[in-house]
Amino acid sequence: MEQPYLLIVASSLLIGLVAGFVMHRADFCVTASFRDMFLFRDFFLMRQMILLVVASMALFELGRLGGIISISPFPLLNPPSLANAIGGFVFGIGMVLAGGCVCGSLFKLGAGSFASLLAVIGMIAGATFYAEIHPQWSAFARSTVLVENTITLPQWLALSPSTLLLPLVVLGGFWLSRQFRAGRMVRQSFAAGHLAPWQAALILALLGFASYVLIGMPLGITATYSKIGASIESLFAPVHVQNLAYFSLQPLNYTPPFATQAIQGGPGPQLDAIAAIQYPLILGIICGALGSALILGEWRLRWRLPQRQLWSALLGGLLLGLAARMAPSCNIWHLWGGVPILALQSLLFVVGLLPGTWVGAKILTRFVIR
Amino acid sequence: MVNRTIDLDICGQVCPSCLLLTLKELNSNSAAIRAGSFDVMVVTDDRQATATIPATAERMGFCSEVARLDGTYRIRIFGNV
Repeated sequence: MEQPYLLIVASSLLIGLVAGFVMHRADFCVTASFRDMFLFRDFFLMRQMILLVVASMALFELGRLGGIISISPFPLLNPPSLANAIGGFVFGIGMVLAGGCVCGSLFKLGAGSFASLLAVIGMIAGATFYAEIHPQWSAFARSTVLVENTITLPQWLALSPSTLLLPLVVLGGFWLSRQFRAGRMVRQSFAAGHLAPWQAALILALLGFASYVLIGMPLGITATYSKIGASIESLFAPVHVQNLAYFSLQPLNYTPPFATQAIQGGPGPQLDAIAAIQYPLILGIICGALGSALILGEWRLRWRLPQRQLWSALLGGLLLGLAARMAPSCNIWHLWGGVPILALQSLLFVVGLLPGTWVGAKILTRFVIR
Repeated sequence: MVNRTIDLDICGQVCPSCLLLTLKELNSNSAAIRAGSFDVMVVTDDRQATATIPATAERMGFCSEVARLDGTYRIRIFGNV
């Protein structure tokens, strides 16, 4: 394999393996962190999520100041648009119905969840269907851009990133230290081989940082769901796939940190830079969780579920896949990557995600889990 | 003296079925569980439920114990009698 692909594939696979293992051990679920606030007034997991964001913010900014991170902001971010918030809203509904977000469904699938397998199939279908509506949706996204030629909040305010990020890190750190002292960051668990969620949050922040340093961007997954879907669709309708404008896009065009030449990638079926980054990550997360569950003797495939839940997982996955392309990108990309650098797109995604999660929780308790 | 156990097998179900279905039973049979006439046995493979269910049951004034068997978790919730 040629440079720089070898480093990218190896890094992504290793990061995915560790992430899958850690998420399974801690049951680190982004969906639960949002959903449980509305459903149970439980903010425990949200505090862990804030820890992850603050730690990532500190690592990314210190890395940038120290010269370890050379690409800032990272590739694939665009100016903020109303599409980001709407995508986040639909994503919020989808992740609650699916019982896990893009990343959560992968690690649960690795641990043997049949519902998560359906959710992932739904995501691939949703991300592939997006190609059919891309021309209209991208026109809408372009027409609702809120601030032209601006990616991050510091850029918009004409400030250096540190002026905003470092005080936020200090404030966040102070608040988190108070939460630790008050005992609100730790909860007793009786699960075998349990890893405390706050430890998982710090490890995941380090993995995001490692991805940024080695690959040039934080963790991302969902462009590859379009890729998988396009590959499958190509078997049945190759001409249709070739004619869809979305599958011929090449939004990724950058020179990775340890490379001398630029690489390109897009959502089409071809094996390109996106495939090199995301396929190993997806495989790693599934295998990491699978390994963890096998070591603990907890791996079981359970497929006899209430029918409502099976439909909910599939429909939730469909919405997730579609929303992740509308937004664009998933909650992991925005929460663990974009929010820590105050990318306006990512902040808008979270603004949409909150009410979406609330609506999803209402639907879940009314129609699915009864 | 416990007369009856309400069995809840929630293995493999979509999150947060464990906590929601357990809460439903606890709320429906609250007085009987407190009096010791019933206890609830939740069987789950949801690792998070081993943290959330005991904590929630405790907040509601119940007792709980967790055991691990064949890679699944059995959470017993009972009255403080």
